Amino acid sequence: MRYASRVIPFPATHRSVLERIQSEDAGVRRIAFGDLAEAYWRPSYHYLRLHWRLAPEATEDAVQAFFTAAFEKGYVEKYDASKARFRTFLRLCLDRFVQNLQKAESAGKRGGGAAKLSLDFPGAERELVEVKSADLRDVDRFFRDETIRALFSRSVDHLRRVCESEGKPKIFAVFERHDLAPALETSYATVARDLQLTVAQVTNYLHAARKRFREIALTHLHDLVASEEEFRAEARELFGLDVGPHGAAPRNGERGE
Amino acid sequence: MTWLSNETVDRLRDVATRPSLPGDRYVILRPLGRGGMGAVYAARDTELARDVAIKVSNAATPTSGLEERLKQEAHVLARLEHPGIVPVHDAGVLEDGRVFYVMKLVHGETLEQHARTLATEAARLGVFERIAETVAFAHAAGVVHRDLTPSNVMAGRFGEVLVLDWGVAKLVGAAASAVPRRVPGPASAGHTDAGTRIGTPGFMAPEQASGAAAEAGPPADVFALGALLFWLLTGDTPPPDAPAVVSRLRSISPPPSRRLRAIVAKCLSPEPGARYADAGALVDDLARYRQGAPVAAHRETWLEAAALWLGRYRTFILLIVAYLVMRAVLALWGRP
Repeated sequence: MRYASRVIPFPATHRSVLERIQSEDAGVRRIAFGDLAEAYWRPSYHYLRLHWRLAPEATEDAVQAFFTAAFEKGYVEKYDASKARFRTFLRLCLDRFVQNLQKAESAGKRGGGAAKLSLDFPGAERELVEVKSADLRDVDRFFRDETIRALFSRSVDHLRRVCESEGKPKIFAVFERHDLAPALETSYATVARDLQLTVAQVTNYLHAARKRFREIALTHLHDLVASEEEFRAEARELFGLDVGPHGAAPRNGERGE
Repeated sequence: MTWLSNETVDRLRDVATRPSLPGDRYVILRPLGRGGMGAVYAARDTELARDVAIKVSNAATPTSGLEERLKQEAHVLARLEHPGIVPVHDAGVLEDGRVFYVMKLVHGETLEQHARTLATEAARLGVFERIAETVAFAHAAGVVHRDLTPSNVMAGRFGEVLVLDWGVAKLVGAAASAVPRRVPGPASAGHTDAGTRIGTPGFMAPEQASGAAAEAGPPADVFALGALLFWLLTGDTPPPDAPAVVSRLRSISPPPSRRLRAIVAKCLSPEPGARYADAGALVDDLARYRQGAPVAAHRETWLEAAALWLGRYRTFILLIVAYLVMRAVLALWGRP
């Protein structure tokens, strides 16, 4: 047996979005809100379209108004980590915000004039075709899944930028062909042939890309949680891990052969 | 921003945690399952040209104990060489610190699936005896499984029955002191914290359910075996009180014999001391049951004992009777 003592690497501790939002520096706060909106606007859009059944234009207005109000009225500062995960808190804020918005609209009052975020709403609308298949009975799960989708999308974009900036576009190309958009008969050999690499190179590039992707995803995740405890819980969920009090073990076996 | 389909998100979740094994001996083929303790992958052992299963601990914190528990499982499996236990071929640590071990890839189905194909009581008892024999072997080697459930047993393609998931196993007696000091951990050598609950509801002994997992010895496995036998006979987990166990067994059609009901009830006694001392004692009683001999779980009336005796020596008795009848006929025939 080849055992050795090793420490599992986690993203380096740095100031998360939630910490930066509470900064005295207005510039830091503004950037932190931008990061928050970037991470959550798309799940919010899909959530309002499908769960609240708002029309596309009304959803765009609501998402814009929500993140603006969150910045101006200090929603995030009211977050209490002992009561719920930040993602759940944000969804509940969004629910309350839409309820109030609908009440205000029925009373003839409408907000307006707030600075608008630059968001790709037509893109988010196109994505609804896929999102529509989700089970909406568990709204917390739906919002979590959409948050994960947004997190992975940002991580993929980040990985692409990193590979390009480091002069290693082939690493991303292998990752894209094999893991992101594989054709029906994709294998290490076909990827190697298409990209004029050896199979060994494909294996190594893929390993490097996957490892980097995981690190990037965990770093983004770390940025969006309030505590290390929440980070660990979210990281377990993110990669499908479900650690119970003593851990139910997975099976070794191929069924029904 | 790149749009990712549901399928791509799922694939990324999988590939991002796929182990990168040292060297190029093992090639990961596909995931087989994931649980709280780790993930299992089918892989190709290129050196020996065979398929294997690789279990990898979750990428958890060093303080979570999962790595130690997986090491513990590998050590337990390595010391238990038995046809009913999956052999371990290799073990080690990935570059990211996760622990892995390589074992035989089992082709088959879980007991949950396999039980549907067992039409008779005899067939169910046959499978159960093989499970009990495997656990008896572990008990003899000083290992208590502590989580025997239908989903932790697999039936192979050639009728072999395998007991899986020794991740929460506990070493007792001399075996505990023989554990290497570098392999401590919550499940090893009886060091489970007081108040820890280990097991699966419905199959967990009362002493485990009450949080005294550290005190759970071989009788806890005997309880789980009794629950497994009850489940094989009825399709349900046993009720918590003993009289209900017997009446539920009586209600199935055809009902098991009184002696088999007594064996199940003895296994499921709330008091560990009232159960079989270990799985070996249970196996012995099952063998006596199969041979029609008196079982330890049930005190027969003289009528039952006589019926058993007659049943057991039926052939011999029939031969003697036939001989006597023939002598009587010959004697009558030869009379002038």
